[in-house]
Amino acid sequence: MEPKEQSKEKKEKLWFWNWLIASVIFRLVLIYFPKNLNLASRPEVSTPLTSLRRLAEGYWLKQLSVSPYAGSMYHGSPLLLSLLGPLTVKRIEGQPDHLLCSLVFVIADIVNAMLIRATGQNLQMEYIRSLKLLDHVKLLEKPGKIIPSGDIAALVYLWNPFTIVACVGLSTSPIENLAIILSLYGACKRQAPLAAFGWVIATHLSLYPAILIIPMILLLGYGPDTPPRKLFLQRRNVEVGDNPPNDRCCEREEVVHRPEVPHIFSWRPVIHFLCWTSLWSVYVLVLCGISVKRYGGLWELFKRTYGFMLTVQDLSPNIGVLWYFFAEVFDFFRNFFLIVFHGNILFMMLPLAIRLKHRPCFLAFVYIAISSMLKSYPSVGDSALYLGLLGLFVNELADMQFSFFLFCGYVGVSLLSPVMHNLWIWRGTGNANFYFATAMAYACLQIILVVESVSAMLNHDRMLRKPLTELQDGKS
Amino acid sequence: MAESEAEAPKAKPRPIVRLGIFLISHSFLFSVICCTAGVLTLLLLPVLAKNTYISENALMPGSANPMFSSQEVSEANRLVKSLTSLDLKPEGSGIESQRLIAEYMSDLGAEISYHKFYPRSNQFHPLHFFSYPDSGSTRENISCISHGLNTVGIIRAPRGDGKEAIVLVTPYNSLKDIIWLVADSRYGEYTAVDAWLRDYHMPVFSGLTALNAEICPVSNVHNKLKENGATERKIHDGFRRAGTMAAALVIKVKDGSEHFEDSLSIYAEASNGQMPNLDLINIVNYLAVHRQGLRVKVGKMQSLINCKWLKILGEILQSLGHVAKSLKPQWKFGIPAADYVEGAATLASSLYYQALGVPTGPHGAFRDYEIDAITMEISSRVALNNKARKNDFLLRGGRLIEGVIRTVNNLLEKFHQSFFLYLLTSPSKFVSVGVYMIAFALLVAPLPVVAASLYADAHKVDRSFGIDKSSPQASATDKISITPRSCKWLNAANKVFLVHLWGAVVSFLPYFICQIPSCTPTTSFVVWVLLSSFSLPILSLILGSSFSYGRASQPQKRDWTLLKSVTISAAFIGLCLMSVINFATAEIGALLMVPMCLMAQPLKLDIRSRSLRKFSRVACNLALGFLGSPPAGFFVLKGAFEGFGGITVGDYWNWLESIWSWSSATYLYIGMVHLPCWVLCIHVLLHPC
Repeated sequence: MEPKEQSKEKKEKLWFWNWLIASVIFRLVLIYFPKNLNLASRPEVSTPLTSLRRLAEGYWLKQLSVSPYAGSMYHGSPLLLSLLGPLTVKRIEGQPDHLLCSLVFVIADIVNAMLIRATGQNLQMEYIRSLKLLDHVKLLEKPGKIIPSGDIAALVYLWNPFTIVACVGLSTSPIENLAIILSLYGACKRQAPLAAFGWVIATHLSLYPAILIIPMILLLGYGPDTPPRKLFLQRRNVEVGDNPPNDRCCEREEVVHRPEVPHIFSWRPVIHFLCWTSLWSVYVLVLCGISVKRYGGLWELFKRTYGFMLTVQDLSPNIGVLWYFFAEVFDFFRNFFLIVFHGNILFMMLPLAIRLKHRPCFLAFVYIAISSMLKSYPSVGDSALYLGLLGLFVNELADMQFSFFLFCGYVGVSLLSPVMHNLWIWRGTGNANFYFATAMAYACLQIILVVESVSAMLNHDRMLRKPLTELQDGKS
Repeated sequence: MAESEAEAPKAKPRPIVRLGIFLISHSFLFSVICCTAGVLTLLLLPVLAKNTYISENALMPGSANPMFSSQEVSEANRLVKSLTSLDLKPEGSGIESQRLIAEYMSDLGAEISYHKFYPRSNQFHPLHFFSYPDSGSTRENISCISHGLNTVGIIRAPRGDGKEAIVLVTPYNSLKDIIWLVADSRYGEYTAVDAWLRDYHMPVFSGLTALNAEICPVSNVHNKLKENGATERKIHDGFRRAGTMAAALVIKVKDGSEHFEDSLSIYAEASNGQMPNLDLINIVNYLAVHRQGLRVKVGKMQSLINCKWLKILGEILQSLGHVAKSLKPQWKFGIPAADYVEGAATLASSLYYQALGVPTGPHGAFRDYEIDAITMEISSRVALNNKARKNDFLLRGGRLIEGVIRTVNNLLEKFHQSFFLYLLTSPSKFVSVGVYMIAFALLVAPLPVVAASLYADAHKVDRSFGIDKSSPQASATDKISITPRSCKWLNAANKVFLVHLWGAVVSFLPYFICQIPSCTPTTSFVVWVLLSSFSLPILSLILGSSFSYGRASQPQKRDWTLLKSVTISAAFIGLCLMSVINFATAEIGALLMVPMCLMAQPLKLDIRSRSLRKFSRVACNLALGFLGSPPAGFFVLKGAFEGFGGITVGDYWNWLESIWSWSSATYLYIGMVHLPCWVLCIHVLLHPC
């Protein structure tokens, strides 16, 4: 029995690595046919912020001693410019252009997947531990009930068409995703410097991950996702009040000897995190300051990057809803609606944080999903990130409603969107409304996904509580 | 909505959810009603067609007096005479005629240039629809031996800024430049126009021209032309351009085959069923009918005109219209039965040519560059021997063209006012997208509902199983066991994905098969079928084994319901997608596929219970499954319209080859939506349960 189990386990591990390698090969194959796909010019893939073409333009300007932000072409970070810029001009004879950049993105994707896997394993250990604490042994014993969520999430991330398209389509979103996932991983492992580094870089690159500071602090303070704290207290009450005569006595002994749940908010890592955050921010700011010193300084940088993101200056179509809205809105209402749209993200933060404070990783997922829905220049790379993170909670969300509907919706919208774009731009038989309709459908799907996943998670918590309350009722 | 049914007893759901539940629980009735209504609406479309009207006011067709007079006619006669005399001479007539035309054009004050092009061999661009027409990459396989020579004359607008152009000519001063392209049709009309358009829109920079020159030694045609042609005239070496093209008219003259009167046939379908703006057709129709007294025709499906059942249907509709009119005089929807049959035949041909996705003439090349274009084929009543008749014919044709050009010249911007998405039921009647979409929507509406109801069914069964299993003495913890019910569909989705992947492989196979030298259509078809049927098990072996992780160990008895549900969803997505790309394909595909998908049910289940109803269902399923397979469907339809005589297996291959060489989206649809769905339906039919 034992060796059989082991071989099965081995096989499962091999299974993961096979798929990982296959995904890399698939990406490489796609990289060698860039002309046929022309992904880099798709509005779904490359936004003004993530397009590598714009980055190359910025680098070119910088080489000519002109501000890289001149001419409203480049709006990314100067650090990314100095990292990826040299790679954009290097050509290898007989190879596709931007091969080196593509390889960087492929590597970033693999690192992302590995980090997601490690985070998932961490979360799963915590999940199993808390189930044991709550005495849901039956749940654990059932074969195939606990799915290795880390592996699933990593593969979902790697094989998600959105990820592949974002990676092959020469957009910098794999790098942005890398920063976000790095911070989550660091926080899960309770490594404050790493988490702080990831958070600062993610915020620097795309601003919206700034809201992840709440899940970060919760994650560092409370530790990874667990069922609500109340349950553990309830469980303890039940066990203390339990009578020894029944056959639970030996089990109880175990319970008593079990270490107590560390559910008190520990300030130490949080303080560490904040210190490191300020350190890294100063460091990044100094680096940025050096690189844009000649081109108007930091203020110019903020205006050209964060200002560009927050004021939605570029109204070229993308899969979000803001471009259409701000193209239509009267100019004197513009500021008001800018505040409304960005306030929307902020308003949702606090209630969600209170409700989901025991599950900081899931909270981070919800935040990422919401911000990728409401951000000014969304791309499929953002969806790739939150869909990958969704895989981390595959055990908890197994009962999610509408999963099939959502799946079909995502497939349908992602196929329909390029067709509508084609009808509008190249055939001339459609108009902007055609394309915007798919963008709205996409936004609706994301809303349904967030709502359903949150309610499924809360239902899961309720389900965990049920036997406890029944036990209590039975006693009283 | 599917799953909300399971939650229903808990709390009263929202009204929209309740509506969904209601529809799902009555899915059978709903689908029967919707499908019937969809087919009926399709048959009613000729009745619902509206009269065309010119939507853009700026056009003002026919507002100017035609200046085309008998003088021009005699000039034209002279040109024709010299051209025909050239044709009689055996040697060098090709170049000579171009020289003659150039001479004639430069007499009109046009800038002339020659455009040399190399006909391209047919290439497979599966994703052509999703990208703009590209240059560069398609320049590889050019055969140097054969080349064509277009003559281009551009009349610059004296009062314009040279930013807009109409492609064609009349002796007229205008705001828009007029380009007269005389296409060399030795290698097909489309090729010539397409080559010229590509060069017009894709400027070739010096590097590439040098490359081209290297590939193909510059023949001395140009030089010869220059020597022969009037050297003092304005003949330009380089490629001449005018402004953006507002519209293009392709003109053909056919010798008298008509019995009644001079007539004008309009061809409008471009690639992937795209149509030019309806206003362009309106202008031509208006001017031809009301000014020049020509009979305007659009394509008709001849076999339908003599169709018995269509006539009967037309008469029924006519009498219904009479009844309605007698009830309330305002109701005027009845049309004469003959009109109905004509309309239906025109509609069918309109649908067919749009669905084919192959352009019906050289105008198709323009549509790829967002230029509205039509082909006008003018044919006279008698052969053009009679001089007076001929002059009259030339006068009318010339005036028509002049009128159209003048009208288009009035256009302020691009054609945008009228419809792009429509079907014609006669030259002056059309069905707009808002009407014909109803027929399609009714036809596909049952798909999501039935998918949801099947999905709900599958879960209900699970639930009842679970309740049966849990014995009363089971502990409390057992009840909370997580059944990953929402993940159950993943296996079915897996299967569906696999088959669709296979469909993609199958549709790319012909690309390799046509590389095999000396292959008759029949053998290629057989090779194709064999390769495809082998590739399915191989693919499932490669991917299926690795997908097996996390698969339920015991084969579920009723997992065909989930499979059918996912199949139907995939078909729904595919049809909706196709309806946006090419409506006609989606409509015809839906007619074939929707009944097949909805009816599919394991044969074993039906055979086991021996009742007449079940047997009729089995028969229905078998018939639909046979009809649904792409080759069988093709042969049956072809046989129905053209008679079964002389159909060979190779016909299907030829048909498909013609479709994919025009890079029609219909080909992709057949390979990646229709074929996989058919295979999945057959799989459901043969499901062991």
